[in-house]
Amino acid sequence: MVNYLIRRLILGALTLVLVTFIVFALIRNMPGTPLTLNMGESDPSKKISKEHMEILNRAYGLDKPWPIAYFHWLGNLARLDLGDSFREGKPVIGVIGERVGPTLLLSTASIFLAYLLAIPLGLYATSRSGRIDERSTSVFLYALYSLPSYVAAMQLLYVFYYLLRATAWQLKPGMVSDNYPTMSFPEKVTDIGWHLLLPLICFTYANLAYDSRFIKANMEEAIRQDYIRTARAKGAGRIRVLVLHAFRNTLIPFVTLLGLQLPGLLGGAIILEQIFSWPGMGRLFFDSITYRDYPVIMGLTLMLSILTLAGQLLADFLYAIVDPRITYS
Amino acid sequence: MKPAPSTIAEAKNARRPARGFWSDTWRRFATKKLSLLALVFVGLMGCIALASPFIVGVKPVVCKYKGRIYFPCLSYFHERLENPIFVKELRKKYSVNLRKKDPDSWAIWPLVRQDPFNRVKEDEWEDQPGNPTGSDGKPSRYNIMGTNQAGVDVFAQLVHGTKIALLVGFVSTGISAAIGMTLGALAGYLGGWVDMFVSRMIEVMMCIPTLVLILALIAVVDKATIWHTMVVIGVTSWTGIARLTRAEFLKLRNLEYVIAARALGAGRLRVMFRHVLPNALAPVLVPISFGIASAILVENALSFLGFGSPPPNASWGTLLNAGQRSPDMWWLIFFPGIAIFLTVMAYNLIGEGLQEATDPRLREGAK
Repeated sequence: MVNYLIRRLILGALTLVLVTFIVFALIRNMPGTPLTLNMGESDPSKKISKEHMEILNRAYGLDKPWPIAYFHWLGNLARLDLGDSFREGKPVIGVIGERVGPTLLLSTASIFLAYLLAIPLGLYATSRSGRIDERSTSVFLYALYSLPSYVAAMQLLYVFYYLLRATAWQLKPGMVSDNYPTMSFPEKVTDIGWHLLLPLICFTYANLAYDSRFIKANMEEAIRQDYIRTARAKGAGRIRVLVLHAFRNTLIPFVTLLGLQLPGLLGGAIILEQIFSWPGMGRLFFDSITYRDYPVIMGLTLMLSILTLAGQLLADFLYAIVDPRITYS
Repeated sequence: MKPAPSTIAEAKNARRPARGFWSDTWRRFATKKLSLLALVFVGLMGCIALASPFIVGVKPVVCKYKGRIYFPCLSYFHERLENPIFVKELRKKYSVNLRKKDPDSWAIWPLVRQDPFNRVKEDEWEDQPGNPTGSDGKPSRYNIMGTNQAGVDVFAQLVHGTKIALLVGFVSTGISAAIGMTLGALAGYLGGWVDMFVSRMIEVMMCIPTLVLILALIAVVDKATIWHTMVVIGVTSWTGIARLTRAEFLKLRNLEYVIAARALGAGRLRVMFRHVLPNALAPVLVPISFGIASAILVENALSFLGFGSPPPNASWGTLLNAGQRSPDMWWLIFFPGIAIFLTVMAYNLIGEGLQEATDPRLREGAK
């Protein structure tokens, strides 16, 4: 077990180096640097002179060729220093840290809500498999699964931000209202709750459709097993068979799903956050790409890669724990 | 416990000549009505893409001009298909200019006389007003799905964008399938350091955030066209197919027939691609079908974010992008949204049907 863990960690570290190297090469070869892009936006009178540009380039480490700059970055990383954001002038850790809260709020709430609804839905679909009500629910969920979240988000946006604009039902983009700092605590909670509503719906519905189909597929396999027939034969009730005998045995594939969802917890969603002006990780990613904020892109890439690898490792370990047939020795 | 009727059925089957794998799969697929409907839908999309200049456009389908017959509408497929004479003498305003320059000319027009790239102006048609601009472009008799901010007809853009949606799906997924299947086959069949290398590559690809990769690659290309976008989506989405192919090859490489082929002296490549690959193809078809859906999603998302390709190859996502700028113009979001939704759902349903038709575990259950 320990040998296996060490091997996985070494391979993981190797993968991380490769990933960061590739991403570093890519972003440094994108046309434009943070300095030239800033210049284009401001008026010509603020144009940076050539000498000044060289000083700035040196200060930001942009004068070095990218492979050397990469090793500098790697060296700083070994000292746990991810550098400063070009755009905000603050340490990358702090810039990313600011976004953790909003992203986690949205992702945990939506994953929790999706499971809360998907488990009963999946069990219901299994128990009424093939009937007309189950078929219509399944088709509906399938349609939801195929509905791109950005399309749904924009339709909802139209209804709640525009059509209902003069009513009490109007919802606003962003995470908090303008007068948030002056609110009392309960008001603050309701304010965030209202702002959370639409992004949460968009985040949840696709997960819900996926999870419930996942549960149904696993349940379909489980209820064909012999132990289910045994349980029925000994007189266990329908619900008891469904929940205690069948559902409990479908929990193993859940573990893979858990591992896959780990990077999603902090990854945010670039498009949805963009649409709802949610101050999360996805928007930070998109903004730092458009502004060529190299240190932030690298920091986010590193974080997501670690989470992806950790998710895979976690899933493999949980497998060994929940399924005694699997060992790593 | 198999009930008696199945043995009778088996006995009946035994008398019939054995069905091939693909015809068997097709038979199972055809029992899924929704999947079949989805297949019809994709076929219909193909027809719309091919017939788009006849359905909506401002160039005559057929016309007689100065004694000769022309097909100006073909220029919607490629600029060079338009006779230079039209570019020079009739530029824009076909209807008015045809009559002015040659009174004996005649023309058959597309069903809807709207252009996907330009606004129809006031004096362009004698019996049709110019398109409204800005938020006045509500769906109306002449613009059945409204117009965008610049007054370009939405229906025309949707119909002409069908070609892009189909192309993106097939080209990107074709590329990712080619890469994924080759790498997966090599890794699964050869094993050893090749497998190690490919597996590492897959892991690295899975760790790099896809959108970052795509945005960076598109930014590296100067003036990205729709073809660049398709290639970029293709080279970033092969990991799933590669993993599945690898697993299939690992399973198949030690079967008797493969060993027999090797014993007969067939070369490595021949065994891999002539003997093993056809048998590994069925499970790989499923992620390919889902891959088409996701390629279309990704391309439209890119256009939506403003990284799409400019006309004449604008996709449905470009309309969504325009819709985001004007929240009151709901038709810019609604119609392309429905189009993307239906297309994605069609490919998902086809994938689902294929999955159920080829998965032996589900086959047992279906009886």
